[in-house]
Amino acid sequence: MPAKDNTVTYESSRLADYTYDNSIERGAIDLPFALMTLLLLTVGVIMVLSASFARAYYDPTNETGGNATYYFVRQALFALCGVGVMFVCSRFPMGFYRHISGIVVAVSGVLLVLVLIPGIGERVNGASRWINLGFTTFQPSEIAKIGVIMYFSALICRNKERLTDIRSLVPFAVVLGVICLLLVAEPHMSAIIIILAIGLVMLFLGGLPLRWFVIGGSVGAALLGFGYAMFGYVRNRFAAWLNPFADASDAGYQIVQSLYSIGSGGLLGLGLGNSRQKYLYLPEEHNDFIFSVVCEELGFIGAMLILVLFALLIVRGYWLSMHARDRYSALVGAGITTHLAMQVILNVAVCTNSIPCTGISLPLFSYGGTALLLQMAELGIILSLSRDIPEKR
Amino acid sequence: MFKKSRDNKKDPASPNRMMLRRTLFLMIVCGIVAFIALGARLFKLQILDHDIYETAAVEQQLRETTVPAKRGTIYDRNMNILAMSASVSNIYISPAEIEMYDEDPAFIASGLANILGLDYATIYEKTSHTDSWYSTVAKKVEDDLADRVRQFKEENHLNGVKIEEASKRYYPYGSLASHVLGFVGADDNGMAGLEYYYDDLLSGVDGRIVRATNAYGTDMMFTDFEDYYDAQDGQSIVTTIDETVQYYLESHLQTAVEEYDLQDGAAGIVMDVKTGGILGMASLGNFDPNDYLAISPEAQERVNTTLVESEEQRDALIAEERNLQWRNKALTETYEPGSVFKIITLATGLETGAVNTSSTFYCGGSINVLGRTDPLNCWNVVGHGNETLTEAAMFSCNVAFTYIGQKIGAERFYQYMRAFGLFDKTGVDLTGEAGSLWWSEDVFFNKANLSQLAAASFGQTFTITPIQLITAVSAVANGGYLMEPFLVKEVLDSEGTVVSQREPTVVRQVISEETSRTCCEILEQVVSGRNATGKNAYVAGYRVCGKTGTSEDVNYEVEHGTKKYIASFLGFAPANDPQVAVLVLCENPGKDSVVGSASGGSMGAPTVGAILQDVLPYLGVKPQYGEGEEGLVDQRVPRLVGKTPDEARELLANAGFSVKSVVGEGAAVTAQLPAANAKVAAGSEIILYCGETPPQEPVQMPNLLGLSYEVARIRAGWEDLYIKGEGVMMNSIYILTTRQSIEPGMLVAPGTVVTVTLSDSSMGATART
Repeated sequence: MPAKDNTVTYESSRLADYTYDNSIERGAIDLPFALMTLLLLTVGVIMVLSASFARAYYDPTNETGGNATYYFVRQALFALCGVGVMFVCSRFPMGFYRHISGIVVAVSGVLLVLVLIPGIGERVNGASRWINLGFTTFQPSEIAKIGVIMYFSALICRNKERLTDIRSLVPFAVVLGVICLLLVAEPHMSAIIIILAIGLVMLFLGGLPLRWFVIGGSVGAALLGFGYAMFGYVRNRFAAWLNPFADASDAGYQIVQSLYSIGSGGLLGLGLGNSRQKYLYLPEEHNDFIFSVVCEELGFIGAMLILVLFALLIVRGYWLSMHARDRYSALVGAGITTHLAMQVILNVAVCTNSIPCTGISLPLFSYGGTALLLQMAELGIILSLSRDIPEKR
Repeated sequence: MFKKSRDNKKDPASPNRMMLRRTLFLMIVCGIVAFIALGARLFKLQILDHDIYETAAVEQQLRETTVPAKRGTIYDRNMNILAMSASVSNIYISPAEIEMYDEDPAFIASGLANILGLDYATIYEKTSHTDSWYSTVAKKVEDDLADRVRQFKEENHLNGVKIEEASKRYYPYGSLASHVLGFVGADDNGMAGLEYYYDDLLSGVDGRIVRATNAYGTDMMFTDFEDYYDAQDGQSIVTTIDETVQYYLESHLQTAVEEYDLQDGAAGIVMDVKTGGILGMASLGNFDPNDYLAISPEAQERVNTTLVESEEQRDALIAEERNLQWRNKALTETYEPGSVFKIITLATGLETGAVNTSSTFYCGGSINVLGRTDPLNCWNVVGHGNETLTEAAMFSCNVAFTYIGQKIGAERFYQYMRAFGLFDKTGVDLTGEAGSLWWSEDVFFNKANLSQLAAASFGQTFTITPIQLITAVSAVANGGYLMEPFLVKEVLDSEGTVVSQREPTVVRQVISEETSRTCCEILEQVVSGRNATGKNAYVAGYRVCGKTGTSEDVNYEVEHGTKKYIASFLGFAPANDPQVAVLVLCENPGKDSVVGSASGGSMGAPTVGAILQDVLPYLGVKPQYGEGEEGLVDQRVPRLVGKTPDEARELLANAGFSVKSVVGEGAAVTAQLPAANAKVAAGSEIILYCGETPPQEPVQMPNLLGLSYEVARIRAGWEDLYIKGEGVMMNSIYILTTRQSIEPGMLVAPGTVVTVTLSDSSMGATART
């Protein structure tokens, strides 16, 4: 890493590459961003309690032993750890993150290989996505996402000029290609979508000419059409999306149950804790479909408040990135914010059957320890870059 | 945005500005536009389409459990329970839960098979349908077995074994009054008889429990959403049926079936002539409503001996036998009433003034009828000679009644038939009543052809139902009032409070009270008159009226090639104040009949007499003994144990008995023959034991047939045996024993009471009237 080279380069722009310039004293973290994060996390943990206790109580999968607070307690512990992780991450200087960018993406690549090895990776429903650490399980793809953001940002910063030269795209393409291939092997469709999207967004921010996106978009659409034509399950997903009620007991089941939850919430909802759909009707109710329970219990108003909070958090994230001291921070910040935004938007879109069903969790809400820790780490990085912003409005 | 981006390209010196723009673009897209779109989507789902989704969600979340309403009870008129529901349990398994809770299907199957006595393999097979939540193992299981299943379930914590409440219909008297009661199907729905006719009343309204449940159908924890709709238990009905009368009716019909070898069974109705209430109604062979699908062994035998080509054909045969046993012939069978119908002709003739009590007729054995090429023969082809109206009825003279019919005239005849309700269904509260079939008016009213009228006046060439006939005759007996027959007199709510009560319904007055009285007097002579056709219906102490009838089923002969007779008798009593009418139909007597050829006098009359003999005292009708009747009355032997021989002698004398001997030296009676309360012929000689035990060696039953009642009593007394009588309990040289309940030559204990049947031996074998 040619760190030295970077520090001496100074450009007139505010977004000039002086990540390693430690001469400027770091300020305080961005309070609105931190508070909104904590607020959403708190609501999220409460919603995990509300959404999960029926499943935990009835325990149809013999996981909880009938303990109604099983999922909640675990999520709350992870949330506490997550808060710690966020603040720890906010302490590290951005230079540190830039320094370890390559390591992170390399580690995630290794993990993505490991997860494919039987015995290390856990095979669930025909897919190896999880590595069991004994006390918890985690998805290497989550690490790959932040890895891509960090590494792409660093790569873009190294390219002095804009990404107009096709050769400069080779490392990006290699990293993205390897990761995607490993994810195909799992297979993990939603992770591929998100990582590809993140990669493209990073290139977009890095200055990739727009006409390339047009070409890329065409290729993507062609690939999508290819996938639609090739894979039966993709077609089934689309069919279930277009008319979930046609097969409400099987292919459309999740979607129909989610729509029932959201729709029966009405304006004001059934009240916190009063969801009926969570009584084993709605699958993944404390996980991918937790937002449906939010809608059912808190109604349109409650759900909109939460969405607005997310929107504000996202806007703030972008705002902080735009005001970042250096180019790397700006890129990482915008990347993380985009990741956050994509997870939220896609999750809510799936819950509301706005897009075909795919397994995407809702940040800060969905049950899942390591995913939460990683999200908190990502948000901690944004807090870290916020500390370098010279003056705040 | 694309324009701006292009601007950036023109300005390669400021890449960072471009980055800012692109970040701003993302901020707007991901932070604002997307959320507005999602908000709009939520608005659509939660506000605009809220009702649709809520309805659908509620529908899947709420489970409705029915709380079955208890079916009402059917009582007889003395509040004896004829039909009742008791709670039982249905045992079922939930294969899905067995799998979900990882329970051992083999263990469950063997446990249930053991308790319920079912086949292990069948139950085990059911456990394999793991997508099912409900698979019935046993229905309508009694409480003790259900408790054992419950214990098995609880001891082993089996979620997959389920018990639900159900109810079962019981008919405590078995087949008694089965055709009146009917039966209920598997879901407790009335399928025949009163159960069907009053199903709405009896069944009540099932209650419901609506509760929120989770996707597995069990309770939704932490929510208290539950709605109860109480079950409204069914109402009970009190019938006019009298269990005892019904029993007498059925047992005497059964005797008739056996005695007369009735191929097509027998039917009978006992009616309260004053109200039209039906005290008893039976049709043999009958069935047990507790097990209404089972057919009688004889029917099974018939099915087994019939050659069938396939299972379906056999099933069809069984179904046919079932339909046959479920048929209430008293209500559904239309037949030519034959001479019994002369009661109606008589009443019409008297009422219209066509004849009066002083009318006389001459029967030369046949009569020429306008429109007939050959003369119409009387059943007695020799002819009855000169006869009064009463004698014409006594001898059931067809010639005389043809004459009466012609005097009445076809139009008036039909007018009265209509008035007697013979053109319409009676409206009895039971399903399946058949209608009558008469000549059309233009045929019947044909002045040039009186043969239809002639045949109709003695009950031929038209068909009616037994219920129509007894209802019409009841009108003749009760002073002329045609009543609407009925079976249910009260409706009670589930608490037993009377909800509604039925008053007897008078349809119309058909004849005057005077005509009614005259008819009764004449019809009494049909039973008690010398050489009358209905003599076998005589009951000592009671003035029985009646009329015999023998009809031929013309269609049967066409179909089967053999003649089928219906020997019937309709009797009512007492003559001075008729209370109860009995109609008996003996159908298709076979070659093993004890009385030779079929006739209403030889088969119907004794059966009705036997029924009246039991029913009249039971109904509290006081006997009024005439001269020579007293001696034939059976008496109960008083209890003598503990009395001194002298006291015993006096008690016995008062009861109409005497002492044969006193065995032993004791001061008090220690045993007696026959036993206390045994009903034996008056005049019987009782043996007293004072300290000695009665002998145990059996004695041989003597032949008591063909004797008068008194001679039979004395003959039995030689062997220390006793008799009691049934049938024509009358002192006459013609009334002889025709039957004894214990075969001659059988070994019996001393003191045994044998029942002998008395009949009028003078009844001509050809007297088909």
